[in-house]
Amino acid sequence: MLALKLFPHLFAFFGVALLMLRAFPGRRRLIVCSVAAGFAAGGLGTLFLILNVPGKFPFDLIRGVLGASFFLFWGVAVAALYRSSERVVAGVSKPLPRPLIPMLSAVVGGGLAGAVAATRLSGIDSLLVPVLLLAGGGILMAAGAWWGELWLPASITVSRPGLFAAVVSLLLFSASSILRLDLFSPLSMKVMKGTHDFVHQFMESVLIPDHIFVRPKIWGYIGLLFSKEVGFWGGMIIWFTPVLLVALAIRLELLPSVAHIRQGAQRRKLLAAAIREKRLRLVVPAVALFFFGCAAYRSSFPTVEYWDPKPLPVVASPSGEIFIPRKGEVELEDGKLHKYLFKKGTQEVRFFVMVSPATGKLTVDLDACAICKPDGYGQAEGSVICYYCKTLIPLETVGMPGGCNPVPVKFIEKEDGAHIDAVTLVNSWTGTVQSTAKKEAAK
Amino acid sequence: MKRLLAALWRAISSRALLPLVLGFFLLAYIVIAFFTDEALITLIALTGKNFLLAGVLALIPLNCLCRIVLEARRGLARRRALKNAQPLPDPALYDESVELSSAAPAGDLEQRLTDAGYRTWKNGELLSAWRGVSLWPVRLLFLAGLLCLFGGILISVTSRQVSRQPMIEGVPFQAPSGQGGFIQRIVLRNADGPILLKELLMEVSGSEQGGSFRTFGVYPPALFGGAFVYPRYLGIALTYRFTAPDLPAGFQDNGVFPIYPPGREAQLPLGGAPYKVHLTLAKSQDGSDPYMTGSMEFVAKVVKGNDQLFTGTVKGGGELVRDGIKLAIIDARRMVVTDFVVDYGVLSIWLAGFLFTLGACLWLPVRLFLPRREMVFSWEGGGVLARSRAEGSARRHTGVFHEVLDVIAAEHA
Repeated sequence: MLALKLFPHLFAFFGVALLMLRAFPGRRRLIVCSVAAGFAAGGLGTLFLILNVPGKFPFDLIRGVLGASFFLFWGVAVAALYRSSERVVAGVSKPLPRPLIPMLSAVVGGGLAGAVAATRLSGIDSLLVPVLLLAGGGILMAAGAWWGELWLPASITVSRPGLFAAVVSLLLFSASSILRLDLFSPLSMKVMKGTHDFVHQFMESVLIPDHIFVRPKIWGYIGLLFSKEVGFWGGMIIWFTPVLLVALAIRLELLPSVAHIRQGAQRRKLLAAAIREKRLRLVVPAVALFFFGCAAYRSSFPTVEYWDPKPLPVVASPSGEIFIPRKGEVELEDGKLHKYLFKKGTQEVRFFVMVSPATGKLTVDLDACAICKPDGYGQAEGSVICYYCKTLIPLETVGMPGGCNPVPVKFIEKEDGAHIDAVTLVNSWTGTVQSTAKKEAAK
Repeated sequence: MKRLLAALWRAISSRALLPLVLGFFLLAYIVIAFFTDEALITLIALTGKNFLLAGVLALIPLNCLCRIVLEARRGLARRRALKNAQPLPDPALYDESVELSSAAPAGDLEQRLTDAGYRTWKNGELLSAWRGVSLWPVRLLFLAGLLCLFGGILISVTSRQVSRQPMIEGVPFQAPSGQGGFIQRIVLRNADGPILLKELLMEVSGSEQGGSFRTFGVYPPALFGGAFVYPRYLGIALTYRFTAPDLPAGFQDNGVFPIYPPGREAQLPLGGAPYKVHLTLAKSQDGSDPYMTGSMEFVAKVVKGNDQLFTGTVKGGGELVRDGIKLAIIDARRMVVTDFVVDYGVLSIWLAGFLFTLGACLWLPVRLFLPRREMVFSWEGGGVLARSRAEGSARRHTGVFHEVLDVIAAEHA
């Protein structure tokens, strides 16, 4: 089972090693050793962090590095596009880079692949077998890349931006199967918020009238920019654009100047060869595009089962108090969230109670956030997930307001359990659902 | 010094500067987003206050200005080269540049080029050919649009001042410039345009007695005393009085309440009394808009502590009396919460929108149907200098160019 879980990460490492070998021909031994050393160092370093630094820091660190590499990839892609109009002189090949650059690239690429793979081992009690499995898999993949690269057609070459695209896509593909490393869903949320802020600010800046003055149909179009879909599609644009820019840069590259050649046939031959070579260089960005797509898909449809208990019905006392006992049918201190359903007339309020790992105290929260439709939350390892927008909320922050966090409800914690005012609960739910329903209606 | 200035010019007019600065601000946005949910507002505020950040932003309009100059010079140089420029301009302005041995222009070159659909010009040792329409003016439009957009953003971010004022019917107001006016009437009516649903007119005179008379609408916002008048929300200005058995002296006050459209709720301040009055504007029975008709009725919910005492309706100028509690709405007038925005960057941003639209409308048909293709041959000292460029259909144009070069080379041989 673990081997199956490690497969995408080892496959990503195989891809990274293969690309490095093809991108830096003539330095095969150096590359394969560097990429393998990087994988081992990245994996061991991550395991060391996971074992010695509690909490989410190791995951945040790796996710931050992955985010930075994606941001850097954007820069590389834009630079590639800007440089695409430079004329390549026919027959002049690029000099072989100094060994330091290939070596560093291989170490960093392999290191990140190893770091991502090692996070998969988090939470496993006995690490000996998994570590041996990962190390063995790594060696096997490096050897496979060494052998596989020999079988790749020589005509498939890798440009520097293409290499960057493919390595980043493989790393993000690898990370997408680990909830706490996933970048696409948080990116979508940030895009949604950023677009909302930008549109709001832009409309205020250029003095566009408020919605009460504007025809609903027109406002409906503007409302699209405030919808959840804009987060998804905006995220898709940000996700895929750099790799498309790399492909466009290759496509827009000027053909070599052949004006000095006076034999038409020779000119045509040279141009045809340049066009063929350009097309073949599109293969690697196309592969990168595929893995970016896989990463986005895995992020949008994660294959994780969540703890999502059926809400237990509760009633309020004549004084309007809802009491959730600490112990009894449900053990509130078992580290899981426990959902409840309170009915008042036609109104139904869903909320959950759990012990916050940050404070060790009980927290009562609505099964809804202030941003999304109230689809509720499920609990995964170290986090809860908003079912609507797929945002992961670290368990440590449950009970704190803001963003896509579950809306906290005021209550009194006593030794026997949580005492909640029914009116406060209903008002809180009504306010949250009304505000999110308005946003939905604006779509 | 000259080299330093040249390097500075290259840097400031570089095409890479715009994405670099935008990347810098994107990075700043991401960093700020780690610390606050309001990253954009924080970034705007920081840029407005911080000289260094404003300076970085100012690099964009400066870069656009330099690129306009550069692009204009390049375009003019290319244009001159077609007719009479000697020597030919920088090869970097062309896609291809080649030098061949050739004594003099061949006689049928012009004819060949004309047959291929080019217009030609021959002047002594110079032969030029071109077809299509140049996108040079569109590039200038685009750069001018960028200049206006980022110039406008810079002005807006660093100098925007907003002052919010409730504009109440029959009441004077004070604009930020110090000038005042008297609001004679506020009219809200249905509009029949494709975009606006409702039309808001604020009729303002110089004084209560009259004087110069102006009407302010919703869009485009008009200027008043150097500030744009930007209506934000509609509401009702109320003068009310509340008395209760345990509050015999009562409480009277006036204020503005954002309770439009009907259904929105506001709480009347009662000066620390143990009562709360929640007020909403009631929907009209006939379906008409009470703000438009001026016939306003309010739904009041009176609460003491956690107990709701009663709910009732009261008309503007009327009273609601129940169990010794009296709520009188002495006066109810239309009110518009209005921002007076001193920001001349807005004009520049609007102009940028116009320039981009115009540029896009010109670019697409020209690029698709009439792309510019040029070639120029200059004979000098027993050789010919040939240059060529194409803004579209480059493959076919290059073929023609190479054929002409072949003819020149063959004639020389």
